Amino acid sequence: MRSMPPSKEGRQPLSDTKNAPEMVNITINGIQHEAVAGERVIIAAEKAGEYIPRFCHHPKLDPVGKCRQCLVEVEGPRGKQLLPSCAIYVTDGMVIDTQSDVVKKAQKGVLEYLLINHPLDCPVCDKAGECPLQDQTMTHGPGESRFVEAKRKFKKPIPVSDLVLLDRERCILCDRCVRVADQIAGDPLITFNERGNQTQILTFPNEPFASYFSGNTVQVCPVGALTSTDYRFRARPWDLEITPTVSLRDTVHSNAEINTSRGRVIRVYGATNDHVNDGWLSDKDRFSFGAINSDERVTTPLRKTGTGFEEITWADAIDTVSARLGAMIGTEVGSIGGANNTNEEAYALSKFMRTVIGSPHVDAQLGDGFEPQLAAAVIPRAKIDDIDAATTILVWGPDLKERLPVLYLRVRKAVRNGANLVVVAPTRTGLDAIATHVIRYRAGSGQDVIRKLANADKSMTAILETLAEGPVVTLFGRTSIAEDPRLAESVAAYGRTLDGAKLMPLLQRANVFGALDMGLAPNLLPGRISTTDTDASSHIEETWGPLPDALGRDTAAMLSGAVSGDIRALILVGADPVRDFPDPQAAEKALEEAEFVVAIDAFVTDSSRHADIILPAALWSEVEGTVTNLEGRVQVVGAALPPKGQARSVIGMLNDIATSMGAELTSFDVSVVSKEIATVAPAYQGITRDGIVFTSSGAGIVVPSQEAEIIVEMAPRYASMAPDAVPTEASGSAVIVPAQGTQPLGYIPTDQAVPMVTDRYTLHYAPAMYDDGVITRHAPSIADLVRDPTVGLNPRDASILAVANGSIVVVDGSVELPVRIDEAVPEGSVVLPFNHAATKGLQAVPAVTVEPIRDES
Amino acid sequence: MASQSTAPGILMTTLEKGVNWARTQSMWPASFGLACCAIEMMGTGAAHNDLARFGMEIFRASPRQADLMIVAGRVSQKMAPVLRQVYDQMVEPKWVLSMGACASTGGMFNNYALVQGVDQVVPVDMYVPGCPPGPQSLMHGILTLQQMIMDGKIQNSTGVL
Amino acid sequence: MSWLSDLLGPLKGFLVPLRQIRKGPVTRKYPQVKRVKPQRFHGRHTLNRYPNGMEKCIGCELCAGVCPANCIYVRGKDNPPDNPVSPGERWGFVYEINMLRCIFCAMCVEACPTQAITMTHLFEMSVTNRDDAIYTRTELLVDRDGTPNYPPHEDSPLTNLEELRKGDGWMRATSPSGRREYEGIVAWTPSARTGELPAERGQSSGTPQVSEDADG
Repeated sequence: MRSMPPSKEGRQPLSDTKNAPEMVNITINGIQHEAVAGERVIIAAEKAGEYIPRFCHHPKLDPVGKCRQCLVEVEGPRGKQLLPSCAIYVTDGMVIDTQSDVVKKAQKGVLEYLLINHPLDCPVCDKAGECPLQDQTMTHGPGESRFVEAKRKFKKPIPVSDLVLLDRERCILCDRCVRVADQIAGDPLITFNERGNQTQILTFPNEPFASYFSGNTVQVCPVGALTSTDYRFRARPWDLEITPTVSLRDTVHSNAEINTSRGRVIRVYGATNDHVNDGWLSDKDRFSFGAINSDERVTTPLRKTGTGFEEITWADAIDTVSARLGAMIGTEVGSIGGANNTNEEAYALSKFMRTVIGSPHVDAQLGDGFEPQLAAAVIPRAKIDDIDAATTILVWGPDLKERLPVLYLRVRKAVRNGANLVVVAPTRTGLDAIATHVIRYRAGSGQDVIRKLANADKSMTAILETLAEGPVVTLFGRTSIAEDPRLAESVAAYGRTLDGAKLMPLLQRANVFGALDMGLAPNLLPGRISTTDTDASSHIEETWGPLPDALGRDTAAMLSGAVSGDIRALILVGADPVRDFPDPQAAEKALEEAEFVVAIDAFVTDSSRHADIILPAALWSEVEGTVTNLEGRVQVVGAALPPKGQARSVIGMLNDIATSMGAELTSFDVSVVSKEIATVAPAYQGITRDGIVFTSSGAGIVVPSQEAEIIVEMAPRYASMAPDAVPTEASGSAVIVPAQGTQPLGYIPTDQAVPMVTDRYTLHYAPAMYDDGVITRHAPSIADLVRDPTVGLNPRDASILAVANGSIVVVDGSVELPVRIDEAVPEGSVVLPFNHAATKGLQAVPAVTVEPIRDES
Repeated sequence: MASQSTAPGILMTTLEKGVNWARTQSMWPASFGLACCAIEMMGTGAAHNDLARFGMEIFRASPRQADLMIVAGRVSQKMAPVLRQVYDQMVEPKWVLSMGACASTGGMFNNYALVQGVDQVVPVDMYVPGCPPGPQSLMHGILTLQQMIMDGKIQNSTGVL
Repeated sequence: MSWLSDLLGPLKGFLVPLRQIRKGPVTRKYPQVKRVKPQRFHGRHTLNRYPNGMEKCIGCELCAGVCPANCIYVRGKDNPPDNPVSPGERWGFVYEINMLRCIFCAMCVEACPTQAITMTHLFEMSVTNRDDAIYTRTELLVDRDGTPNYPPHEDSPLTNLEELRKGDGWMRATSPSGRREYEGIVAWTPSARTGELPAERGQSSGTPQVSEDADG
């Protein structure tokens, strides 16, 4: 098995060097060209307009020269030589011939050779029509084969994982999948077996190809050897309609293309945007589209009846909603959510709430993020490209591999290219394996680690040395919803003090950065303006009219207001607080207590179940507009399909409700709304949807950071604490008092020497890529990949509790789950899966009890 | 006037048969040849196939003297109102036969210029697939239509007696 | 005598019909007698089977891809391994042709890699309803004995279901002039062009081979 990462000395020269490229002169087919020194010949030739056929070459992968298809003649001291152009690098004065008879004969010979064992079952092969082998046989291959003997036979297809099928007969042994799995994804689970004629790609025995990035191997496979289960035999490439878009499964916004056929999304392919995703997608990006086609979608407006829901007309629904909301005072209405929508939809919601309803209570985050102003306007903000350029990367936030998988690939790429990586997390993360340093601490005691780092504690010397090597990019976020949200502020404040600091906020919900930029936060207005900034908000008032004076409530305050009666109506916009709010029971109670709840949602979720009216919302691939990712890059999402059933975009339904209430909101046309944003929101000046489509050549536009910095400072309550009061890392034995919302964290230090005998464990919700969320649940191909929930316990705690792997324990007196003993869980912590039906009964208590079930009989 | 009686009497049944027979055996087509299908339609009227055997002696140039409109060929968007006018000018009872792929669905001309199915303009009683349908295919359509009329009620195109 | 010829002149014209009477009528008595179709007539499609009863269609959608009128809709599916429908991995579980859009160009026949779809001499497809013109697998697929299946509109007055159920009814109806030698012949009738096409002059036969491991 290959080991990763490779030693830094042995690194291959890469085309994307950090310094300005040195140019050399080369001659291709008798014509002089300029090429970047150290570039692969095949890439240089392609830039010069000479296409050399290839199978194993991939610009994002290390060269191997396996397929021999790219043979060209290069003049050397002993005359012309046939060399694989993907594995040699241009040097000054190189003379290359890609068209000579010798080259053509060689390429024809290689193709004929590759086709010897390739079954010509193109009519049933999913790749046919977009198959490099097919295409290059047509352009560069021989017309006929001289091979008449029997072809090699293998059993096929073999499911190498739940998502990928392998056909070894079709494989041409190009090594692309092996390299993607190994070099890019870091899951070297697929490799060559056997020798000679029997050489074949296979997984290891009893080890499925369970990678989060397995779909990329399907996309890069130059033949139909690797196919995905959910695309198998579904359609042919020539009847696919392609819509460029970006994936909204996380905030990275990987570029993708939606392939539809006959009004259904058939598959999602990665598209290359080197500033964002390099062409890679996570399997969740790729395979979660099944939810769009789900039969359980809400396709008509629904009204709650005594027993369930009845279907009503849109006119009826709009009338009901506008009549009920119109009868309330503006500040009695609150809106939760909007992070799964486009910027235009978020803008319409923000404007609708603040002008038509007259309420400042909007929040796109469900108490699971951190300070909106910090997330929206942190300075100096890192771009994803800055990760490549960083010498040191500090990651202190959610597990990147699980939550922001494509960003994980970028960090991995940077580490592969020699960057240092420091990972701070309460339990094992996907990055640990390649990290230079890992700090693991008990969930809830993160501020101790910060204090130690800030005060240059002796135990941190090695880490501090690493962090001193700038430029340092700090990726900060909330490690879990049980964590104090203010910790992210401290991390950002610490990150700012580092050499050449750049900061990247990590939130994971779809377009939450766009929603915050559109003012979907109690203290933000569109364009990253604070509500307290009277100069800037008066500019918005010119277009919008007067803004509400009252202070906005965040989700926690809205939900508690709903219970106390201050908030009478709640609008849920694609939000599921019963699952995502740190205190699910409080959320459920609030929704039950609220006088009127409107849910704009595509599914009947645990939250929209409580709604009086459900308005069917269009999902990703059905709405167009712009979205903003975690670096502030505005990109365009495309509409590949009309919304299912009677579902509509949020802009349309809010416009109708506003009209019904006698007000005017925005245009129905996304382009016009986008132009309105460009005039109203200061940060978005000049950034319109049409502008991005026509001028940015697919790369998107990064919102420039504002001059008016929101300066992050270490929160005083941390600074005032004694610097060396409490030990950190796994040995800590503190009892954490429950924290609510943004309340300061109460902290009771205890003696380190006392062993952990308290009956309370600090809770960490481990995020998983395949969580039990509404999209995963309704996407057939990944629904089964949701892991069974377990309670992660440190072996020491497990022995104290006298439980073994698989024993059932009761967490917090309500949730019964089996135990998973894991050394990566710090002592005194329990690790539970995030957003899982099994943990719904838990309240937002960072400290929980864990009791084993004793067999009474 | 819509029929009030539910069970048809012996007298009415016999009359119905008689009227239907008369209608089927003297169904005169209006000539509405629009494209290549019209050539086959003409061939159907000529000696080798001889539509006169079925009482369709002559293609009438005046819609007022025709009972059956054979839409033979692709209907462009500009022809659609003309087609409708000719149909409206025909006297009741009247029938429409859509001949060939273009008239029925637009065929391979799925574009902005052609009506994608003449049933968007007039009610069609019989569709004859083919590109173009041969005379015998057309006759199959006509005979099927005649059979349909024979089995049907005495009523005009709007379903009124 | 010129006055005599002047007198008879107009009458001479009447000799023309008299002469023609002798030759008899040219009219084909259609519903009773069907015209002999040319050998490569493009009539209704059928989906064929291999002699062992397996379907030839593999659901590759090439016919749908090549169709200039876009009238074919095919969807493939994994063959059930224990009871495969067609040889190989894939079978066409949806196969629909909208006969009203079809222009009978036989491009689908050209494109088909397994000669699964061929065109018959069947031409009587008039329908009163657009939906009936969509032929699905059930109607297109030949029976196990090679008889083309009946169309969806059973109420066609010209369709004698009794005759149809005898199996060779349609064969005979579309055989050259209903020739007697087709009586009782139901399988692989060249006139209906089910089964394999004979090669055109100057071409190799192109007969697809039934793979021996057809169960795989």
